[in-house]
Amino acid sequence: MEVNILISGVGGQGIILASDIIGYAAVLEGYKVTGSEVHGMAQRGGSVVTHLRFGNEIYSPLIEKGRCDYLLAFEPLEALRYLDYCNKNTIAIVNTEPIPPTTARKIGSYPSVEKIIEILEDNIKVIAENYTQKARELGTALVANVMMIGTLSALERFPIKKESFIEAIKSVVPRKIDLNLKAFEVGRNIS
Amino acid sequence: MKIDLASEEKTRALLLGNEAIARGAMEAGIKLASAYPGTPSTEIIESIIPYAKRLNIHVEWSINEKVALEVAIGASYAGARAIVAMKHVGLNVASDALMTLTYTGVEGGIVIVSADDPNAHSSQNEQDNRILARFAKAVCIEPYDVQSCKDFTKKAFEVSEKFKIPVVLRTTTRVSHAKGSVEFGSFEKVGREYKFIKDAKRYVVVPKHTRVLHKKLNEKLKKIEEYANRSEFNEMIINGRLGIITSGVSRTYVREAIKELDNVSILEIGFTNPLPRKLIEEFITQVDKVLVVEELEPYLEEGVKKIAHESGVWLEIHGKDILPRELEFTPDIVKKAVYKFVNKEYNNIGLKFEVDISIPERPPVLCAGCPHRALFYALKKITKKKIYTGDIGCYTLGLAYKTIDTCLCMGASVTIAQGFYHAGVKEKPVAIIGDSTFIHAGITGLINASYNKANIVVIILDNRTVAMTGLQPTPASGVNALGEKTKELSIEELAKVCGATFVKTVSPYNLEETIEALRKAFEHDGLAVVISKEPCALLARKMKLTKPAPKVHRERCRGYLCQACSACVNLFNCPAIVLEKGKVRIIEELCTGCGVCAQVCPNDVFEVVD
Repeated sequence: MEVNILISGVGGQGIILASDIIGYAAVLEGYKVTGSEVHGMAQRGGSVVTHLRFGNEIYSPLIEKGRCDYLLAFEPLEALRYLDYCNKNTIAIVNTEPIPPTTARKIGSYPSVEKIIEILEDNIKVIAENYTQKARELGTALVANVMMIGTLSALERFPIKKESFIEAIKSVVPRKIDLNLKAFEVGRNIS
Repeated sequence: MKIDLASEEKTRALLLGNEAIARGAMEAGIKLASAYPGTPSTEIIESIIPYAKRLNIHVEWSINEKVALEVAIGASYAGARAIVAMKHVGLNVASDALMTLTYTGVEGGIVIVSADDPNAHSSQNEQDNRILARFAKAVCIEPYDVQSCKDFTKKAFEVSEKFKIPVVLRTTTRVSHAKGSVEFGSFEKVGREYKFIKDAKRYVVVPKHTRVLHKKLNEKLKKIEEYANRSEFNEMIINGRLGIITSGVSRTYVREAIKELDNVSILEIGFTNPLPRKLIEEFITQVDKVLVVEELEPYLEEGVKKIAHESGVWLEIHGKDILPRELEFTPDIVKKAVYKFVNKEYNNIGLKFEVDISIPERPPVLCAGCPHRALFYALKKITKKKIYTGDIGCYTLGLAYKTIDTCLCMGASVTIAQGFYHAGVKEKPVAIIGDSTFIHAGITGLINASYNKANIVVIILDNRTVAMTGLQPTPASGVNALGEKTKELSIEELAKVCGATFVKTVSPYNLEETIEALRKAFEHDGLAVVISKEPCALLARKMKLTKPAPKVHRERCRGYLCQACSACVNLFNCPAIVLEKGKVRIIEELCTGCGVCAQVCPNDVFEVVD
């Protein structure tokens, strides 16, 4: 058994925290866990991707291209950027709230979100939702990451129990645990 | 993660490679930990800081890597175990000490972590410090995953003390920043009295002593080579006549690559200097051909070729003829090479797709509210006819503002500018250097400028912290690694003492004042220093020093029609300002309320809120 998860987004969106929650939930279930993070210069609003893997016989911290099972994209463009890690069975959970990079400030230089989702849907299975907006409705955009984990946890055949996620959120998230648990529940009902 | 890294309990935790190194060092009973922050090494010392008091460890952010190592050497001479952490280029700075430390040897174990950065994720080069370790005649050990980070670090102290030699624990970004599950081990009770036993023949390297010490060192290395053959850091699996030799993170890629192959023998080397000669001999006599899988330099490959030649074994040895010598490996690169080596077809199951839109790049940028941006804007307002020598820090991103023309190594901004001046270039050289980089390696350069009459301008970007590596304090912030108050270093006084005849401190958030000071500095005949002082935007956020975002006056904003200059979006280029539906909008979550945009816009669109 081997599960490969790619989490992509923009530096500062809580990507490492999300990776820690899923990773620790996998540790709680006795899996071997590996992964790779980006720190330093690349975090300054740049494109950030974290690899997370768990299973019985895994070694590499990085996912082989084409072997990503689940893509969690915190920003639509950052889903498209890592499509080469996916195969036709990959399930992507995509936050549709765009963050235009400073290189794409001019009209039309950021592709339309509809177009991005369309390309993704042509190639892989997609769950698209404006998680940022849904998180704002709970009080802060910051819990969009945990909400997306909620959606992931509720997927059919995803091999980690809900209880392990809840315990992981309690041990990993530094503040506002109740709000994060609420966001997790909201996420579980998005499909 | 909320985890007790110094727990006596033998739990299983999810750790970063660097956290595992910290845990390994604490299990080994270190008395001292020192470092200068640098990606990808920073988290090692950061992970020891919270436990320093509890475990009675002295932890410090040293002002540079040479200082960090020398402080550790003193502790070691007194019998204490010490860990020193740095990024690969940091070892260049510390190499002066390391090159001779191997001669005197150590008393308490010293482990020097060199976190290399293949792919230059956050570095100026891709040097392979296995070569530097061999050059210095130090032991080199390479962990390959998070568990081995902990285990190898702990064991490295034992090796260091057994042979009284410093150990270079060489990681790479994909090892230091790997995440993985780790089993905790038990704490060693070092329990010794720390005292210095004088021995001039060993500790005073005058020529007479050095000649003897060098011979002893070479003899010592032969003994270590014997030990390396039996080291648990290595692993050999004989399974057929095709062999792969590998080290570091490549070990994990090779393990993945051979999952669906049978008949591949592997030799994984964790003890990379001195190389385990007998073990390699044993391996190459049992296979017909070998592929060496290692990132960057053909370090193992050359070693294996030499050993094969000297032991009279003939076999095909591949390596850099198949695999790249630059950038980092990925599982795909290694799998492709391994399949080629065993004559099997590699089919990637990945999507074959075409995207008919272009995906805009998303490079790292200066944060919203970054004081550097304001300074760069001020510089651009004055003149374009300058040469800007840059340095190492977030401000290298000034590249986007065309206010960074060179960037080489720590402190080189101040000195390269002097070379431009003495060469007689027409434009006035302007050096741009951060507060921490200035303290690390810029002070001597500044004294040199004064002493040798270089008429340059030095701008010190004093953002009160080491920003790029995650907000570590500096001597100028007046607190140490543990957060205790220390004597605050005055950069202004220091600049004066070094010989600057014009010194002015400004807030870059006040554009008018900043432009005025820069003008005066440019006109000054002699060494001029301008200190641009304002806390890093991330630090300001952490210290709750931010202000509300300005209000946007929608009638005054002409958005896309703005013929004036689109100064806010195009020139100032703050990520908190976006053009939306023809007008400017401020993303309030990003804005720190620095108020510089209000000074930038000629149409008074931004109204500062008090």
